[in-house]
Amino acid sequence: MSVGSAFVTEKISDDKLTLSIGPQHPGAGHFRFTVTIEGDTIVDCVPDPGYVHRGAEKQTEYRTFLQSIPLLERSSLTDVTNIIMPFSMAAEELMGIQIPPRAQYLRMIMSENQRILSHLYWLGIQGIFLGHSTVFMWPLGDRELFIDLGQMIGGARITYSYAIPGGVRNDMPDNFKDRALKVFDYFESRLKDYEKIFFNNPLVLKRTQGVGVLPRAEAIRLGVVGQTLRASGVKSDTRIDEPYNFYKDINFEVPTYNSCDTWARCMVHLAEMRQSMNIMRQCLGKMPQGPVRVRLSPQQRAQAGEAYTRVEAARGALAFHIISDGTTRPYRVKISVPSFRNLIALSRLLIGSHVADMPAIYWSLDYWPVEADR
Amino acid sequence: MAALTNFEQFVKRILEIVFWVVILVPMIIIPIFFFVYVLPIEFSCHFSMLNCSQHINWSSALYLFSPAELNPFDPTSFISQMGLGATSILFKSSFFPGITFAAILSSFVIWYERKLLAKMQYRIGPQYAGRVEGWLQSFADLFKLMFKEIVIPAKADALFFLAVPFAMMALAGALLAVIPISANIYITSSPYSLLIALAILSFFPLTVVMAGWASANKFSFIGGIRALYQMISYEIPFILSVVGIIILSGGTLSLSQIVIAQGRIWFVIPMILGAVVFYITSMAELERIPFDLPEADSEIVAGWLTEYTSMNFGVINLATYIKLYGLSALFTILFLGGWQGPAPIPGALWFMIKTIIMITLFLIPRGAFGRIRIDQLIGFGWLWLVALSFSNIFIAVVLKATGIL
Amino acid sequence: MQYPDVQTQMAKYYTYDPKLGVANAGYKGRHILWLDKCTGCQLCSIACENISQAIEMVKVPSVIKPQNKKTLYPQVDYAKCVFCGLCVDACPFYALGMTEDFNLVSTSKKALVYSPEKLAIPPNVTRKKVEFKIENGEAFHD
Repeated sequence: MSVGSAFVTEKISDDKLTLSIGPQHPGAGHFRFTVTIEGDTIVDCVPDPGYVHRGAEKQTEYRTFLQSIPLLERSSLTDVTNIIMPFSMAAEELMGIQIPPRAQYLRMIMSENQRILSHLYWLGIQGIFLGHSTVFMWPLGDRELFIDLGQMIGGARITYSYAIPGGVRNDMPDNFKDRALKVFDYFESRLKDYEKIFFNNPLVLKRTQGVGVLPRAEAIRLGVVGQTLRASGVKSDTRIDEPYNFYKDINFEVPTYNSCDTWARCMVHLAEMRQSMNIMRQCLGKMPQGPVRVRLSPQQRAQAGEAYTRVEAARGALAFHIISDGTTRPYRVKISVPSFRNLIALSRLLIGSHVADMPAIYWSLDYWPVEADR
Repeated sequence: MAALTNFEQFVKRILEIVFWVVILVPMIIIPIFFFVYVLPIEFSCHFSMLNCSQHINWSSALYLFSPAELNPFDPTSFISQMGLGATSILFKSSFFPGITFAAILSSFVIWYERKLLAKMQYRIGPQYAGRVEGWLQSFADLFKLMFKEIVIPAKADALFFLAVPFAMMALAGALLAVIPISANIYITSSPYSLLIALAILSFFPLTVVMAGWASANKFSFIGGIRALYQMISYEIPFILSVVGIIILSGGTLSLSQIVIAQGRIWFVIPMILGAVVFYITSMAELERIPFDLPEADSEIVAGWLTEYTSMNFGVINLATYIKLYGLSALFTILFLGGWQGPAPIPGALWFMIKTIIMITLFLIPRGAFGRIRIDQLIGFGWLWLVALSFSNIFIAVVLKATGIL
Repeated sequence: MQYPDVQTQMAKYYTYDPKLGVANAGYKGRHILWLDKCTGCQLCSIACENISQAIEMVKVPSVIKPQNKKTLYPQVDYAKCVFCGLCVDACPFYALGMTEDFNLVSTSKKALVYSPEKLAIPPNVTRKKVEFKIENGEAFHD
């Protein structure tokens, strides 16, 4: 079956209409998928990723480990630290070094900060896809406070290249802890407002409950990750299953819901925001003093071999597989991205649903086209 | 875009010019004509001690709006005889309370809506056009829209595509013609004005389907069909909710008589169910959130309005906001007592105050709700709203039969 | 906060301490070059080579310093710079830092190439700076 423009102009039958929800569409981001509708029901869906493919995996073969960091972090703009952290961890494993504990705590703090940023952006777009413009403006405004926190440590608003092989680049400033605690208290009171306007809004409940149901067995069989999996009742989180940094010393919960529908995915995002603040508070309390960076040469050689690391990014489990041949540049880098893993659920969930459910289901899977295309 | 034949280009240019002329002439030229030519003549008759015609009634400050009397031998009533004076139909329909007044009020309503939503969303809203809080923003948008190009898709049915703004503006203007602002200020009055207003409102789905079909675009087509379903299924509760008013006001269909019948108590209190049903169905007729599915941004890219560019879009948007003003005015007349109010403030001003309060109530849900899905919307309309309006009619019959009202 | 009139208070200079091996937290905006310390070793240019090739060494005959006999200094092309700061991390002589000036708009691409003398001028941020405050359950700025 052909995709793209040829698909939408061939005539299938008299009562079926093919729509190309393409890159130039306010409801799709930079990603195309074509749906075939009959009346008000979607009968077929063919996703067509690859619009923003920039060859990031190939480009890392021409750069050293340190120089690939600015390249890779721009693949996933809302989740910057989490996409370079497994790369740094795999590179450190290949170089045979161990980073100091304070660096690991700082990485955890930045990682949870990014998780909140990503979830707030997700919430904003989910609101606008359901027609609710206030839920678009509020989270993006509250996000500024967290971007400000990130900027205090990292030095830039979004892409800071912070977690490099060898540790982190700089220590946090002195006024960070008081400021962060104030921001958390404020944001927790704002989450109550969000619950009133979005998560308990009767019209939003009508549009998201019972919509896009992915049963538990199907979710496990398709291999989806992240919130999609947790909303289908499977308690799976890489921070608990394969702990890295110091997650085994932090008490936090992994929220799961059993209703497997779009509403459950929304509630999982909300609960995870609360858990992230919980984790950050504990990290700020437990951080030891000490160095934050291991001095490496810019042209550090990695030992020959393979390394595979997996972390819990904001959207799901993100994994890097690096094969090195003993030089300063990796031989092959393979990135396994949560958005691409969840794409298979999109076509399964859209078939048989109403046309009007399409934006709600599509965005609740938290698909980020730039990350999926790398 | 495929090349148009010379004749189609010619027709397109002519229609563009006609657009601008038809919209701008009543709004600008007739008020200028009135202020520069007519007013001095009407004033000068008093200063020069001529035999002024009887139509200037000094006992009422609203001498401009009292009914005209024809006196063929009096020069000062010549202007009124020609049908151009202050009390003529042309003046009333184009200046006040007609199209110009409604268009300027709608432009301010657009500004007001943006400011209101911005305050609810922790923003500021327009702030640069015009020194104070950006009050000239709508006019800036109007000028911007005038300079863009009207794009007609190659496969579109050009005649119907371009006729839609005309049709919508004509219908919005016709709606305003039967609405009385005060006891003496109205464009026309008729003993069946309520029926005329409802009939005009029923024409709007036709224009929307015309727009959706003529755009030759799958998304527009889906949007047009959805708009058709939505508007038609909400016409029934709309009309039924008004039947209770007709019963309570003694069987009259004239809007002026309905307002007079509210002398004792405003109808919003006994007919509270009818008021709620009228409010909800008006929001569906106006395609406001939570009922803006035909123009849903994220699924069907602006629905039936997708292919409409500069002044096409501007005129349709203006017509929508004039319809908003018209429906708020209708709500005020039917339920809130029209122009009645305590003495020192004139009736027309009371009417404006109540209408603006109702417009605010129509604008606020945009900040608080999302969209509702088409099948849920139709189920809600046919089941719940029709049932509520029937109970409303029952209450009205009971109140009338037992002689309470 | 209305951005074109005001901006947020940012952290100070981002610098790197080669003896300790860690950087000091700061905002990564426009670079600043301390001409008294730069020896023209080209390490910043090499660090940027595979990232965005924004730093090029040029001869500046008018600046004569005892530690830099060849008068080679870096020039930064801001049309290519991604503001990652790895050049600052590569300098072993405390010569390069990054300031809080991010307003680098210009109307021509040539004006975006900052010569070493231009980089040596400290930044002059004229916008009013505000700071976010969170008190009594409300977030606002002064």
